[in-house]
Amino acid sequence: MISIEDLRFRYAKGEFALDIPALAIERGERVAVIGPSGSGKTTLLHLIAGIRTPQRGRVVTGGVEVSGLDGSKRRDFRIGNVGLVFQEFELLEYLSVLDNILLPYRINGSMKLDREVRRRAVRLAEEVGIGDKLGRLSVQLSQGERQRVAVCRALIAEPGLLLADEPTGNLDPANKGRVLDILISSTEASGATLVTVTHDYDLLDRFERVIDFKDFYSADAGEPS
Amino acid sequence: MTNSLFQVLSCAFVVGCCLVACAGPKEGAPGDETPEAQASAFAAAPLTVYTVNYPLAYFAERIGGERVEAVLPAPPDVDPANWSPDPDTVAAYQGADLILLNGAGYAKWVARSSLPESRLIDTSAPFREELLPLEGVATHTHGPGGEHVHAGWAFTTWLDPALAKEHARAVAAALAGASPADAALFADRLAGLEADLESLDRRLTAARQTLADRPILFSRPVYQYLIRRYGLNARSVHWEPGEMPGEEMWRELEGILEHHPARLMIWEGEPLPDLAERLEALGIASIVFDPCANTPADGDLMSVMERNSVSLEGAAGPGSS
Amino acid sequence: MKDVLYLAWRYLAHHRIKTAILVISITLIVYLPAGLNVLVNRSAAQLTARANRTPLLLGAQGSSLELVLNSLYFESDAPELLSWAEAQRVADSGLAEAIPLYVRFRARGQPIVGTSLGYFDFRGLELAAGRSMAILGECVVGAATAEKLGVGPGDSVVSSPESVFDLAGAYPLKMRVAGVLAPSYSPDDEAVFVDVKTAWVIEGLVHGHQDLAAPEAASAVLDRQGDTITANASVVQYNEISEENIDSFHFHGDLSGYPLTAVLAVPESDKSGVILMGRYEGEQEPIQIVRPIAVMDDLLDTVFTVHGFVVAALGLVGVATVAVAGLVFLLSLRLRRREIETMIKIGGSRAAVGSLLVSEMAAVLVLGTLLAGGLTLLTSRFGAVAIQTFLLG
Repeated sequence: MISIEDLRFRYAKGEFALDIPALAIERGERVAVIGPSGSGKTTLLHLIAGIRTPQRGRVVTGGVEVSGLDGSKRRDFRIGNVGLVFQEFELLEYLSVLDNILLPYRINGSMKLDREVRRRAVRLAEEVGIGDKLGRLSVQLSQGERQRVAVCRALIAEPGLLLADEPTGNLDPANKGRVLDILISSTEASGATLVTVTHDYDLLDRFERVIDFKDFYSADAGEPS
Repeated sequence: MTNSLFQVLSCAFVVGCCLVACAGPKEGAPGDETPEAQASAFAAAPLTVYTVNYPLAYFAERIGGERVEAVLPAPPDVDPANWSPDPDTVAAYQGADLILLNGAGYAKWVARSSLPESRLIDTSAPFREELLPLEGVATHTHGPGGEHVHAGWAFTTWLDPALAKEHARAVAAALAGASPADAALFADRLAGLEADLESLDRRLTAARQTLADRPILFSRPVYQYLIRRYGLNARSVHWEPGEMPGEEMWRELEGILEHHPARLMIWEGEPLPDLAERLEALGIASIVFDPCANTPADGDLMSVMERNSVSLEGAAGPGSS
Repeated sequence: MKDVLYLAWRYLAHHRIKTAILVISITLIVYLPAGLNVLVNRSAAQLTARANRTPLLLGAQGSSLELVLNSLYFESDAPELLSWAEAQRVADSGLAEAIPLYVRFRARGQPIVGTSLGYFDFRGLELAAGRSMAILGECVVGAATAEKLGVGPGDSVVSSPESVFDLAGAYPLKMRVAGVLAPSYSPDDEAVFVDVKTAWVIEGLVHGHQDLAAPEAASAVLDRQGDTITANASVVQYNEISEENIDSFHFHGDLSGYPLTAVLAVPESDKSGVILMGRYEGEQEPIQIVRPIAVMDDLLDTVFTVHGFVVAALGLVGVATVAVAGLVFLLSLRLRRREIETMIKIGGSRAAVGSLLVSEMAAVLVLGTLLAGGLTLLTSRFGAVAIQTFLLG
């Protein structure tokens, strides 16, 4: 599913560099990425999703060399193939729960919002336990409920890859487990690959594989800004 | 869908243009008349001419013929000089094509009414300098305005055939101004009327010559222009033909007779038999010279003047006719 | 595109206060100059239309603006007076129809316009009820006057005294309403029209009273010498003209000296008008003759100059408002940076995200402009009535 070769990424400011000689993640794998703060875990997810491009090396995601595409093509690839979940949820406060879930279909012309998609959104919301809150604004939900909305948004396009950047970082222990269960069960059901950056070492046993990031960043580190 | 809609709209537009182009004026449709035809239609309607007395109405009819409808709204049994129309009648005057005024203060109601200035014709305007002031008119003063005089003019101007001709000419000019297409007709008919008035003038002149300077009396002071025209030696009293004067008025008459020994009294209308008899006893004969201010019961202005001439000639004696 | 518009609408609806403030601001900066323009142009058109339809106006030497405002709009105090003889002079010239005007008195706030029947034909005024005035003491009221005073044919209107303290001056005259005019959407709607002679009755120049020769008036007689009767102040004068007493009404003095405020001259032709104007050009001429349109154009030049300054000022305010609105938008973009980044991250196209932001701005501009356009349309539709009510009424 994901293949990284001889990757080097350096931020514009120059102090931090990420060097990954090789990394491969199989389709359907559930992978946890751990490492010290500032080691580039989020950057890795961005490189895999095509949000950023490396100065050197190749990133192939779902059979597509995203590191070689221009920005527009990378966004088009991402919207239909990669689901993203963020630590801060990143929901739009002025949209309802349903509209937040359907957001990917409204912001890229290559996605067609039809009745089937709406039905899928309702089904996803019911599966994660927020089916009765579709009309509410996201700011009216609890932290756990908001993250569940974010998960539904990430899954609405039925992506082959789900990237979650510390999805449980702002949740209480009860919701941590619940959200992680949703992530894992959704990807298991669809056969999608799940790559999760996490600081919650208690949850590592839920993953098939753990990548420790301390091996992938440059020795002349400091914290990337 | 958009394409089809566009095609439908285009067809509708083309069809609509064709319909508009075909919907031109049809032959014989109403409103299709030429301006000349319309003017002709309007020109056929007679002029409505309202007047303030009968002589003017007569002149308008004589001159205008079928082109004029002359109206004097005053009831036939009142003197138009003392008549005031009600507001609705004034409104009828406002609707006339022409309003003929006698002038000389006749019809005082005119000054207290609203009439269209552009259609008001003062038929005595051409001879304003020849008007005679009234004598013995009461004046009054009050308030800070100072004295103001209710001066007036004698207004039975038509009794002078020469002034009557002036009235007639003014009427003809007004009619021609209102209906220029008929000006020639009006001029022609005016000539006939003038001839009649000149003939009347000759008869009255002859009668006056027979009368010479014999003192005569008039029953009311409404014959000023007749008196002036023919230089009559006349005095006036204020007697109504239908009322027997009181003794004081008889004494006043006797006082007048001492200095003005008249043998003839000229009345507006037929005096009471008793009245005429008592005058006869004083040696005063009575004749009627009808001013004809209102519509006569029979005849017209000229026939009434004809009768007046006969009466005067008869009173003048042989040699006057 | 509809998805982007939907998102834009949701954003604007959620931030309704901010949206409302922006929309109202845009509405105001667009409507104020546009509406002002419409109002000024309409006012000017109305004022000039009436002035344009009035060929010539004669008055005593003095302020031509006061003469025009009094004669055409029945506003301002009565100008210097001229005499009835001047109306006769115009009529006798054969060059123009002379319509007298005496606009001096009021009846419950409504101007009393003394004139002749020719005025109604000239202005194209038609009756909606009743008939035209026929005799002294009758009046015809404009449509707005009839409504304001609640009068119709057969009712009465009383003239107001010029001054409470001027007991010897013009006294109230009770006038009978003969007719009501149809609306003309001009100052004529506010007037009480009387024959100019009735206006003279109000002034006291024409009056009616007991017959002093009658026995009943004996107590009012001071002296009687021959045909001259001198009356005292107890003589009963009529303050209402009826069919019973109208014959007693009479004129004091010479009619040619009776006052007018103006003479409206309607020339037979342009050439006649020029000739008539030429007759009043002498330096010693006590009468002025003006073309109302020229007077109004001078006045409107001043108005338009002021209007230009006002529009320029509004334009500056508009620029400032747009700048502030732009700043608000930029600041809100800054606040929404994270939201925009999220949309880009999850795969939103730059075109869609850009369209969303532009749509929000455009929606505010369009809504504000539409509202301003609607208000301007309303102004153009009802501006005439507003001008009539608030400016000329």
